[in-house]
Amino acid sequence: MIDHWPWWLGGLALAGVALTHWFLLGRQMAVSGRFTAIVNRWRFGAPDPSAQALQNASQAELLAAIQAATRAEFGGADESLAPNAPASEPAAPRLPQESPRSPQRPRTLTEHWVFLGSLVLGGCVSALSAGSLELSLVPTGELFQKLFAGTPWGGALILLAGGVLVGAGTRMASGCTSGHGLCGVSRLQPGSLLATVAFFGAAVVTAFLLRGLS
Amino acid sequence: MSTWLRTGLMGTGLGFALSRIGFSSWDEVHRMFTFASLRMLLAFVVGVGVLTLAWPLVRHFSRATPRWSPRPIHRGTLAGGLIFGVGWALSGACPSIALVQLGEGQAAALFTLSGIFVGNWLYSWAHERYFRWSAGSCIDD
Repeated sequence: MIDHWPWWLGGLALAGVALTHWFLLGRQMAVSGRFTAIVNRWRFGAPDPSAQALQNASQAELLAAIQAATRAEFGGADESLAPNAPASEPAAPRLPQESPRSPQRPRTLTEHWVFLGSLVLGGCVSALSAGSLELSLVPTGELFQKLFAGTPWGGALILLAGGVLVGAGTRMASGCTSGHGLCGVSRLQPGSLLATVAFFGAAVVTAFLLRGLS
Repeated sequence: MSTWLRTGLMGTGLGFALSRIGFSSWDEVHRMFTFASLRMLLAFVVGVGVLTLAWPLVRHFSRATPRWSPRPIHRGTLAGGLIFGVGWALSGACPSIALVQLGEGQAAALFTLSGIFVGNWLYSWAHERYFRWSAGSCIDD
């Protein structure tokens, strides 16, 4: 059994992790966004680097690129518009300098997997240091077992179905407990406040319904 | 420090904290949802409270104004939140928790984790096929 932290320590830890995430990675912590990024890569393949560059380019760079492309396409009929630009070399928007603090730096697929993998590591370190690391093939939890041990596959299908709802719902609401609940609510973002009230409310109702079943 | 190292440190720290707070225990999460124990709820409220006070300070003392993506209400916010809430109560896991549970040796969390990927995929397909409203430009925060 892992001994759980008292409420004040848990609260400080949550805030500390969210703040450290901002300082170390230059973004607000949002875990479901990483799932979305991974799924998007599966569905759509690697992002087009020129599209990324477009998103990050300044207006002047965009204008220059459009002018160059126009000349390349139409052969620079009116050279007086831009006499110095070579017609044969359409200028691509320059990729910005890579900086960890820049929120514009696109994250690689590997970074998302590293984060998800290190969550596994974090859980493992916690269980190891509490001396409670043991492999359990069946879903754990007394109440869970009481409710679902008799269902097909001993509750595994409940976990799968619940997971599907979690994945679909967080993507539909554009965030989960970390991005909306912790970081969004503390920045008083309207979407986060509504989503958090909605998911917590729905979870409370579901939990009471389940308890009524037992 | 390389980006990977920083990312790995963050994930490990978050996973450890979530595990020690009790978010990775199905029973403990349900004690929160049924208000049988207020400990985790209070932890969450304290976390949000500290951050509410901290962000303005961070903004004030940052050299460049931080660009935090806005999180507006859109047509999927309410329904998505409700769906997520039902799923959280059923599986006992929000997205990061399935991974933390795996690390603790709860192998059944593989079902939850697969479900999260499948659900995310299904919604992105359904969104393109049927819904198509704008969810804001900053899903990837």
